Amino acid sequence: MTVNDKLDNKFGGASVPASQLDSSFAPPVDASCRVPLLVLFGGAALWLVVSSLLALAASLTFHMPDKFGDCSWGTYGHLQPAADDALLYGFCIPAGLGVALWIFARLGRTPLRGALVPVVAAHLWHLGVLVGLVGIFVGDSTGFAWLEFPRGGSALLFFAYLLIGLWALMNFSGRPAGAMFPSHWFLVAALFLFPWIYSTANILIVGWPVRGVVQAVIAWWFGNNLIFLWTSLVGLGAAFYFLPKFSGRPLQTYFYALFAFWTLFFFGSLRGVPSGAPVPAWLPTLGNLNSMLLIVPVIVIAIIGWKTVVGAAGPEGKDSSYSMIRFGFVAFVLSALLQVAMSCPQFARLTQFTWFGVAQTQLQLYGFFAITMFGAIHYILPRAVGIEFAFPKLIRVQQGCAMLGLIILVASLAAGGVAQGLKLNDPNVAFADSSKAMLMFLRASTTGLLLLLLASLLFALNIFAMIMAWHWSLVRAVFAAVVAPLPKTEVKA
Amino acid sequence: MLLVSWSAFVLAPQLQLGGAKQVPVLNSTEVYPHTRPGEANQGLQVYRANGCAACHTEQVQQDGVACDVVLASAGKNPDAVSNLLATLTLRGLSQEAAQAVSDKITAAGGKVETHIVAVGPDIARGWGLRHSVAEDFLYDNLVQFGSLRIGPDLAGVGSRLPDANWQLLHLYAPQSVVKGSLMPPFRYLFTTRKIGAAPSPDALNLPKEFAPADGYEVVPKPEAKELVAYLLNLHADVPLYDAPFTPVVVAKP
Amino acid sequence: MSEPAPSTPAGAELVSDRSQSPMWIFVLTLTLLYLGAVYFDRHSGWFDKDVYSPYANAAMLESYQPKSGAAMAAAQGRRVYEQVCGLCHGADGLGKPGQAPALAGSEWVIAAGHNRLAHIPLLGINGQISVAGKGWNLGMAAMGASLSDSDLAAVLTYIRTSWGNQAGEVTADDIKNIRAGLGGHLQPMSSDQLLAMPE
Repeated sequence: MTVNDKLDNKFGGASVPASQLDSSFAPPVDASCRVPLLVLFGGAALWLVVSSLLALAASLTFHMPDKFGDCSWGTYGHLQPAADDALLYGFCIPAGLGVALWIFARLGRTPLRGALVPVVAAHLWHLGVLVGLVGIFVGDSTGFAWLEFPRGGSALLFFAYLLIGLWALMNFSGRPAGAMFPSHWFLVAALFLFPWIYSTANILIVGWPVRGVVQAVIAWWFGNNLIFLWTSLVGLGAAFYFLPKFSGRPLQTYFYALFAFWTLFFFGSLRGVPSGAPVPAWLPTLGNLNSMLLIVPVIVIAIIGWKTVVGAAGPEGKDSSYSMIRFGFVAFVLSALLQVAMSCPQFARLTQFTWFGVAQTQLQLYGFFAITMFGAIHYILPRAVGIEFAFPKLIRVQQGCAMLGLIILVASLAAGGVAQGLKLNDPNVAFADSSKAMLMFLRASTTGLLLLLLASLLFALNIFAMIMAWHWSLVRAVFAAVVAPLPKTEVKA
Repeated sequence: MLLVSWSAFVLAPQLQLGGAKQVPVLNSTEVYPHTRPGEANQGLQVYRANGCAACHTEQVQQDGVACDVVLASAGKNPDAVSNLLATLTLRGLSQEAAQAVSDKITAAGGKVETHIVAVGPDIARGWGLRHSVAEDFLYDNLVQFGSLRIGPDLAGVGSRLPDANWQLLHLYAPQSVVKGSLMPPFRYLFTTRKIGAAPSPDALNLPKEFAPADGYEVVPKPEAKELVAYLLNLHADVPLYDAPFTPVVVAKP
Repeated sequence: MSEPAPSTPAGAELVSDRSQSPMWIFVLTLTLLYLGAVYFDRHSGWFDKDVYSPYANAAMLESYQPKSGAAMAAAQGRRVYEQVCGLCHGADGLGKPGQAPALAGSEWVIAAGHNRLAHIPLLGINGQISVAGKGWNLGMAAMGASLSDSDLAAVLTYIRTSWGNQAGEVTADDIKNIRAGLGGHLQPMSSDQLLAMPE
């Protein structure tokens, strides 16, 4: 609560003085974030590739179920949770944290101090993901969706997040008075959200488990707050920073953004228990009620995007980052609308326990969040490191693969989910037919996953090439300093 | 804001359900549920470790509730009653309709009972007799609801498929007992070994195309036996106050 | 320094437009909140821990508790039997040597009528009695006198239909009539007295 109060008080009608509308502050600010960003994004790119590979393998188990039965790690029950967690914890969260660090520094015009701490924390984070994924494969999964990582892994993640979040908040509080933007609210709220829900869920489910179905209720609450609310806050925080930047039109409008923030946070956090769950009716009813009310922030957010982007001049030429962030924004609106639809009783009953929910999650995590992050990272990283991407043309290819793959994946799973739901809800259809009906759609979704794997590889290629180039520039600089020790060369690459 | 959300979905459920106790089975001296026996409890951990919940749910859905009017005795005028019955709908009625039908049959001299039945595709498929409730999971130290039905619901699998050998065969080679099953085989829960002095009593009796080479046998590892013990222990089918239905009369021995 | 050319007004670290708020948002939100409250009222069961979907509220759940039916009667009969009768006659109905005769296969229990049978728990029994060809000489208190008509009927039905016994059911109305017919009689019955009554 205190943070939010602070946000309100601090805003205090501040607007940025015209004198600050120059960009000379940017290079040192960008450079201060360089190493933490390289570590966060580099690891994220690696986990993204791992996740795509695992997701593809999990999908293949349906086409040749007989081939995967001789080792435990080859079953869908290991591959799919690992793929999901690698995407969420491996890619989404470190990418989001990196983008948030940079946006805080940029918006506050304050270079990041003590960058060593976030660098160490980012390493810890990626180590935690590794520990967690290995844990899933050796059978130490906790068994709760999005919370599968065993204790060791989740403890590392928790402390790494605290450190990075703390540094981001210190940078945030060191900004010039009054420099407070809509993006700030979303990102600060997300920074506080994760430790709160992650510690609650891990303590009450894994550490000192509560009894019976309360475990499942907490797991649902946690999953929704992380998958929907956290990604929405960070993704929208980034979009509300980048969209006006690219379109050249101020965010439309301050009031809409404020309204969207509070309603999204309120309705978005009070949900998670699906209808028909084996818990007293008030829990799913309360969850459904708030899901339906999400329509309010979704409409407002769509208006913000529309007014800010449509008809604006935009950047010169086609900018890949701009396209990706716009795509991500549309994906958010669609994903949230699906959330609303899935909470309406009739449609909920139809899509319950089907692939439709998987499609919605993919749309949220990949279509909205990951693609927004691609756009943001492609914009940020060359500025922070001071080196252009080695394969700029591949960025457009990567963009095409990611968008097309995502559309194929989501469309086939959603259509398949509806077909499956129709069969599941008709008791005259044998159950086996409802799963067989999915096979055709699953084949299509495998094609989508192939494209996504390609997109992940291309993304990682550019990121790794940049990391190599940066290391090489360091070596060169040291070498130059050793060989020609006369005038000191600038170690800026 | 976070506190509101936390209170509603963490604190309140814990206060309401965290201290739950056994409840009486409707009109019976029995209470429900009972702790799972040790082997079944370990089986739950095997279920978790292998991510079974990625494909299976353990929650029976119930869309509605209906009344079935059942003739208990035809009384003194059986012909009139049976003629009357032929003209009436007796199953899937609302409470009012069931009352009206009972009144008509009683007026004709018959005697009826009204049975409460759960309604929905899950119930019709035989996955359970009523919707799942919190009590079904009271003693599970890990609640595996699942969210996706790639495979069927397992909330009542112990009542539906109570044969341990069938379950073992199905784990080792799903396609050997369910044609065209999408379930992956869990061969790593079994050992294939050379038959010693005598075949093991545990050895699976596999059909030809799934059997190992001559002189070898397939025996379940302890994990497989525990998993099956857990599956066979899943019966969520007693009537409770919060999930009422009229049980089918079972002839006593 | 190879800082890429900043895209359009990179320096403008974006401000948001501060035009005034339109009222329609509040109207929409309040309308939806009202509809949401109606939805919650209709489906939530108001935080009752026993109300699950598809039951809308506690009253509806209560109205669907099964009230009639042979199975419910059997369950009720078994509950009463285990609490009141089972200690001596055994949960299996086979009786206990020296304590109480078997009910399974007893001619007193499976007689065509239930009149004699009903008098035993209502009044108790004393003296010589022959059960399934075996002589007993024991007393039984009026164990059923304090039971409700419905419970006594259920338990008599239960013993008449369990353990292989296949006799007709006893209704609460039957018990009511028999109780009314007792008049002021409160002494335990003897075997001969019972046999003198209609079946």
